[in-house]
Amino acid sequence: MKNAHDPSLAVMDLPRRDARDKLRGRTRYTVDQAGPEVLHAVLLRATVASARITRLDVTPALAMEGVHAVATHLDAPGLHGIGIADHPIFASDIVRYHGEPVAVIAAETLALARRAARAVIVDYETLPPVLTLQAALAPDAPLVHPGWENYDVLHPGAARGGNVAWEARVDRGDTDAAFARKDVTIVEGSYDVGRQNHVPFEPRAVIASYEDGRFHIQTSTQAPWTVKHVVATVLQVPEFAVRVTVPAVGGGFGLKFDCSLEPYAAILARKSGRSVSLVNSRREEMMTCLCRENAEIRIRSAIDAEGAIVAREATVLMDCGAYGGEQVFLTTMTAHTLAGNYRLGAAKILTRAVYTNTPPNGAFRACNGVYNTFALERHTDEICAAIGMDPFAFRRRNVIGDGDIGATGQTFQGDVLRPMLDRMIDKYPVERRSGRLPDGRLYGRATTVGTWFIFVGPSAATVNLNADGSATLVTAGVEIGSGTMMQSLPQIVAANLGIHPDAVIVKTADTDAAGRDLGVGGGRTTVSIGAASEAACAEVREKLLTVAARLLQTSATALVLTNGRVEIAGKPGSGMALKAVIAEAELTTGPIAGSGAFTAAGTTAMPGCATGHFIDAIDIPVFAVHDCEVAVDETSGRCEILSYRVVQDVGRALNRRAIHGQIQGGVVQGIGYALTEEVTIGADGAIEQTGFDTYHVPLAGDVLPVDFDLYEGAPSLGPLGTKGAGEVPILNVAATLACAIANATGKPVASLPMTPERVAALIAGDAR
Amino acid sequence: MTVSFTLNGRARTYAGDPRSSLLEVLRETYRLTGAKDVCGEGFCGACMVQIDGMPTTACLVPVGTLEGADVRSIEGVGTEEQLNPVQQASIDFDVVQCGMCFPGMVMTLTHFLQDNPQPTREDVKSALTGNICRCTGYERIIDAVMSLSLAPKPLTEAQP
Repeated sequence: MKNAHDPSLAVMDLPRRDARDKLRGRTRYTVDQAGPEVLHAVLLRATVASARITRLDVTPALAMEGVHAVATHLDAPGLHGIGIADHPIFASDIVRYHGEPVAVIAAETLALARRAARAVIVDYETLPPVLTLQAALAPDAPLVHPGWENYDVLHPGAARGGNVAWEARVDRGDTDAAFARKDVTIVEGSYDVGRQNHVPFEPRAVIASYEDGRFHIQTSTQAPWTVKHVVATVLQVPEFAVRVTVPAVGGGFGLKFDCSLEPYAAILARKSGRSVSLVNSRREEMMTCLCRENAEIRIRSAIDAEGAIVAREATVLMDCGAYGGEQVFLTTMTAHTLAGNYRLGAAKILTRAVYTNTPPNGAFRACNGVYNTFALERHTDEICAAIGMDPFAFRRRNVIGDGDIGATGQTFQGDVLRPMLDRMIDKYPVERRSGRLPDGRLYGRATTVGTWFIFVGPSAATVNLNADGSATLVTAGVEIGSGTMMQSLPQIVAANLGIHPDAVIVKTADTDAAGRDLGVGGGRTTVSIGAASEAACAEVREKLLTVAARLLQTSATALVLTNGRVEIAGKPGSGMALKAVIAEAELTTGPIAGSGAFTAAGTTAMPGCATGHFIDAIDIPVFAVHDCEVAVDETSGRCEILSYRVVQDVGRALNRRAIHGQIQGGVVQGIGYALTEEVTIGADGAIEQTGFDTYHVPLAGDVLPVDFDLYEGAPSLGPLGTKGAGEVPILNVAATLACAIANATGKPVASLPMTPERVAALIAGDAR
Repeated sequence: MTVSFTLNGRARTYAGDPRSSLLEVLRETYRLTGAKDVCGEGFCGACMVQIDGMPTTACLVPVGTLEGADVRSIEGVGTEEQLNPVQQASIDFDVVQCGMCFPGMVMTLTHFLQDNPQPTREDVKSALTGNICRCTGYERIIDAVMSLSLAPKPLTEAQP
């Protein structure tokens, strides 16, 4: 009975139910929850990048009046991580990055906790830090993790060693033979990118308490089940002893996809017997952000006389910072980005996540896809220049289409990128790609393609049908601002049950109520939680229609759910109100509820060509075509964006207005990454941008309206044919701007961000 | 030392440290958490309130300077039944995402529209120089504000 409803019923511009309180200042985010009864905690963070701790004495802090608890590594023996359990929550004997927590203090006020943190005695014997990828990979480099061989490996199969935390590779076909061919043109490029800070307006924040022998953690997270797991792991308590609930989240963008502050607050809550609030200051948030990582990308391609890419080799170095974290997983995604846009005869791709003595990096909206797309599309334009082929014609000829194989040998379904390219160019024909504007500035235009994935995996949902004919959806999904929990999920459930979305109550995440879920990220919520919700609705429909069929003396297959009623199909008014059916059900079978589940399809790849990968193939690819025009001032290097256009593969658009909001916001975040947002690390290993004065996110005056076109109908496993629409808008922004600036200036743009200084230097010939 | 001022139309006397920022006092003493502590340095505008009618970042104002002042925070704008026009347009145009910046945006834009009933898009953008948003990319907020302009509407005007 699944999908026995009309999918178009789920399509609407439903407004957000949380907007009113957000606009009135009434919404209580985690940072707003702590009342006078709560203790305030502060982390004492290391002020050196690499050191041995020779003395740690917390007794002066503990002796202060109003200090309730202090915790150190002795309170949290466990290690956590993704792929490798390499991460303690406190430095014990070794400090690995500037800002690493050494102790945490709970006191009656924040000011007192800060004073107490200053009273803790810590002595360091400093060690030479490795602060860059080059330093980490030098033959005689000091090891960030001298004991790397002793860590538990949570996902076997990857090469590791020294400062290489993880190595993923793809070897598909014989690239050596292809590069040795006499009839190919070989094009090489190397690119480098800096970090990007998420700057969610709500910093990472948590309030923990210890009740009836269990931890209750209220936190600003995207992944409540991850928090539950990691807290239990590092505290070495059973997972069932941890409950996680999530208030409204004030922005995530991937930063909150990992556990962060929660275990510290949990320990202090147990020690003090009080509720404990821990909130990163903006300075801490800037200096310890799990940034989109800095990276270096080298790509080499062999092109035959017809313009086919017969082979590609690439090496990507990702800086994971002091601990492996999300970068270990993301090594997998290099292959699907660098070898997922275009048909390749053979591919050899090596990705290394490298330890340095710098703050750990993490996940950020489309992750390494953003810079790999930048590198690949600049490389693609360099190929076009080398072989003398029009960049649009080259892309149109080579993009992945129906039946083509991807990085790891999976077969792609459907022609998607090519018709998307055509749609862009039909709407905005190319007159020129470079030139000079009447005001003297350099003009450039570029069109790029991008391939990313929807991160699927386990989700669970329960739907309770209530006596009044409303439904309650219980999942571990979190509303982080993208609108998924406010719009697409109630729209999906309502369409399945024939009720209005306003009559779908969406329970906020509570791991005591909802089943396991991977978290809100990777464009997965509408798809994974949506599919689980549909499965739960299918059970509800079946139970409901069985009762209704008996009452209406017809077969269940003849019935439809619409406008809060059960009707005989094609005969409006013939049936009865849902409430009446539910009342009958209560007398015969009891209240109606359904549970549903979803997980990854496990799309097959070519056996043996991927090593160290977390996923063999991408279950749901998602594509984007971007186009922009820029004007570059030759003297200042300042770049003005004249137009920006997006054609985005959405599968099916459930809420066009909400998707528009994601595209406008995602593109602008990408503009910041491409042009102004720069993170640098000083000689002391500290991130130098500590606030909004030095880290420049786009302001209203820096942006423009993004033109968009939603491409519907591409194959998708998602419910109603949907794909996630919130993550991918950022994917090719840096790529498109870089290609346009390269076209405008005639210079080989190879580094991000393209700050005015860097662009001016490029034009003047002082840099690459 | 105490400080007496009006907060959302109600007389208040504050007896704590006069050096505390108005933002701390709103959030901790009065538990009015609509003004957000985001940058703490006056750049982002998430803590914008109106002091004697002027938009002001509450993080930079010591409460001791407010003797006799008329302070209005987001909690004093609009009612459950009747939102103010900027709030209503923000709902009508579906522009809210995470929502952390919107209390400040409403304070700034409400005052701006009083002084500039027929703004251009560029005027609105200039007015938002001190209000940063990380989610929305701004333009749809500008669409919502432009719908409130008293200027004749061009045919191409964005619709909610």
